[in-house]
Amino acid sequence: MTPLQTALYVLLAPLASAALITLFLCRRGAAASAVSVAAAALVAYGALALAFGGDRFTASWEWLRFGSFAIAIGFNYDDLAALMLSIVGVVGLCVHVFSLGYMRDDAAKARYFGGLSIFMFSMIGIVLADNLFMMFIFWELVGFSSYFLINHWRERTSASDAAKKAFIVNRVGDFGFLLGIILCYWANGTVSLAALGADHASSHAVYSRLIPLLLFCGAVGKSAQLPLQVWLPDAMEGPTPVSALIHAATMVAAGIYMLCRINVLMVPEAQTVIAWVGTLTALYAALCAVTQRDIKKVLAYSTLSQLGYMVAAFGLGSVGAAMFHLTTHAFFKALLFLGAGSVIVGCHHEQDIFMMGGLRRRMPVTFWTFTIAVAAIVGLPGLAGFFSKDAILVLAFENNRAVFAALAFTAILTAFYMLRLWKIVFLGASRADSARDAHEGGISLTAPLVLLAVLSAVGGYWRAYPRAFGGVFSQIPEALGATHAIVLATSLVVLLVGAGTALAFYSTDGSDSLERKSPAVFGFLVALRTSFDAAYDYYVARIQQRAAMILNFVDIVGLAGVVVRGLAGVAENIGFGVRALHTGRLSNYVYWFLGGVVVLWAYAAGVL
Amino acid sequence: MTPSLDSYVMLSAALFAIGFLGVLVRRNTLVIYMCLELMLVAATLALVAFSRFNGTEDGDVFVFFILTVAAAEVAVGLAIIVALFRARQTVQVESLDSLRH
Amino acid sequence: MEQIAFISLSVLTLACALGVVLSKNAVNGAMCLLLCLAGIAGLFVQLHAYLLAFVLVLVYAGAVVALFLFIIMLLDMQGGQPWRFHVPEALAGFIAAALLVTGLDLLAVRGHLGAGPAVGATVGSSLKLYAYQLFTTYLLPVQVMGFLLLIAMLGVIVISRRVGEAGAPK
Repeated sequence: MTPLQTALYVLLAPLASAALITLFLCRRGAAASAVSVAAAALVAYGALALAFGGDRFTASWEWLRFGSFAIAIGFNYDDLAALMLSIVGVVGLCVHVFSLGYMRDDAAKARYFGGLSIFMFSMIGIVLADNLFMMFIFWELVGFSSYFLINHWRERTSASDAAKKAFIVNRVGDFGFLLGIILCYWANGTVSLAALGADHASSHAVYSRLIPLLLFCGAVGKSAQLPLQVWLPDAMEGPTPVSALIHAATMVAAGIYMLCRINVLMVPEAQTVIAWVGTLTALYAALCAVTQRDIKKVLAYSTLSQLGYMVAAFGLGSVGAAMFHLTTHAFFKALLFLGAGSVIVGCHHEQDIFMMGGLRRRMPVTFWTFTIAVAAIVGLPGLAGFFSKDAILVLAFENNRAVFAALAFTAILTAFYMLRLWKIVFLGASRADSARDAHEGGISLTAPLVLLAVLSAVGGYWRAYPRAFGGVFSQIPEALGATHAIVLATSLVVLLVGAGTALAFYSTDGSDSLERKSPAVFGFLVALRTSFDAAYDYYVARIQQRAAMILNFVDIVGLAGVVVRGLAGVAENIGFGVRALHTGRLSNYVYWFLGGVVVLWAYAAGVL
Repeated sequence: MTPSLDSYVMLSAALFAIGFLGVLVRRNTLVIYMCLELMLVAATLALVAFSRFNGTEDGDVFVFFILTVAAAEVAVGLAIIVALFRARQTVQVESLDSLRH
Repeated sequence: MEQIAFISLSVLTLACALGVVLSKNAVNGAMCLLLCLAGIAGLFVQLHAYLLAFVLVLVYAGAVVALFLFIIMLLDMQGGQPWRFHVPEALAGFIAAALLVTGLDLLAVRGHLGAGPAVGATVGSSLKLYAYQLFTTYLLPVQVMGFLLLIAMLGVIVISRRVGEAGAPK
């Protein structure tokens, strides 16, 4: 089987699974889950086979043609796509297996697995896309899958509101993305990534800056950067495996992936903007995470923060650093979410961390894997996160000291809130009955945790990766000499400061120490968190609603009234007028004869 | 001192106009028909006048044909009017308004 | 002398024509038409078309108007129906008629009809001349007229059949 065929099967297997589930297996949850997991296994196998098989290829078919404008569907399978596809495959498979146990008692299991399958299809489409239009199509599909899955428990209005919010905010970003694609096509005459790589309108001052920024809007929406980050915490209304797969590891990383793909279009001004947006997002999200009570929301803000890191890394100029952090982040964030899912299920669907505690003894596997993940994210030397974060810090140190300082401070906060979470959830005595009765889940819940823990631990030794991903990882910045020492020292210092403070400051007695001891700071942080939502609320309620009402009025009076009924009225009146000619009276017709004769006379006499 | 051609043509025109007026104004179908005949006669007068003043007999011969046609037309037309009378019991032209909207 | 004859004949003709148009009773109208035709016949005689005058009286006044009278008698049972005089209609009709006259007059004036001289009486009343023309130059129209009369006869027979009696004409 040629690589192209393998890639096609990888792309279409989840689609076939989704179609099968939708058409036939809507009520049979067990069969649906089996089909979906089989498709995910196929995807994982195919992805790894392709990646380590060593073949890299491109293929393209023309899909639609409008005169001189054509939209093509194609695959661009290079090292970057290989890496991303492997991540999607492996993490996807882990999440699918985890879902078998997590959603065992859910009534709408079939619908859930159908949604997971369609998501896998859309995500693979983004990864393999070779032109921006195709990427946009699958971009929208991914957004739809996200909406569908967040809204899984439809009875809850909070879930449907969150799904709508996610979709609408993504739409705002996608609008900028679409403008960018159109502008790119107009300026360069093509949207194929390969052709753009060859040459593009880099000389035109306005376009060369505008196009990457507009395309970045798409990443702002999909990867939840400032100011469009408001949807990600709310998206935690979906089931935890969904949060793990979509809102931690893969979909939100699609924005980063897209940025890496359009690296050829970047100019320094755009990159500065991108770097700062990423940094500010990282900082803001870390500040918001400190005061959260819900375990999933903490992880959501943590995701936002790490995505900010990736975007900042890209903005500082290194595709390799961004993708490396994306890889390690996929592993340990998925692990964190799945661990949280295990905890939630164990505590009988309790999500408030102040109602947990003492789970160290009761759920050992979860505890140890979660610990590895926490260690990875805060940057304990030797684990995956340490290497990727280090790479980013090196990059920042060499290019932009201000960003370096901000990212270092954010690292302190990361350690701070992650250790806070870890301590309150797992250590101390159980604070509620649900925690006291907690027990470990079945093999389907624990096996993925173990696998991901292993990957989080060893995933940082990128030189150990086969040459399969060499094209990407060769771009990871390495530090030498003094820079290396400074950055290494900085990482260790932030780790110790953050972790130590958290462990010392927070107690396991069931209340938030920060809230207790320093209400002013706590209040400030909470206000910071809710400020964006409040601002959007104001805008929508006051400004947008008024504009919508004006337009509604114009529509009813102007369009429906004047234009539509007016035209109908004009036609009706013309009809009346013409109808009046049919009097049926002989004399009238004779007058018309005379009229005609007079006209002919005048014409013949030369008067007319 | 013969009357000039102009006077004959004017007379013919006046007759024609009177006949036309009758067609427009009268309501009785039969009277309208008679006025139609008046118009035909006016046309024949004009033809004869022209043929006389141009020195040929073509106009005269043509009057023969007009007379024939008029006779045939009257026959058929009156038959139609009788058939209409049978259908509607009246000869007022306003009652013939089936084509009214 | 000729002028007086012309004027009196034309006055007679026009008056009777107006009588046809304006009379309330249809029978009165038919009588006026008869007199009008008589006037026209006189004018024909003045134009030296003696045969035509004769034929006019014979065919038109004798057959056509008689037929008219028959049908009027047959149909118009209620006597003269009151002729309602509508001002707008009459006005419109008058204007129409005036237009007609004006148009024809313009045609006559522009065309300079009266330019040629009146030719003598060599042409005209010879029956032989008419017959010669009819049977040589105008033979085709004569044949067509024959057909026309035949078809008209058939048509009249078909139309005056009573409805519902297929096959047996009344």
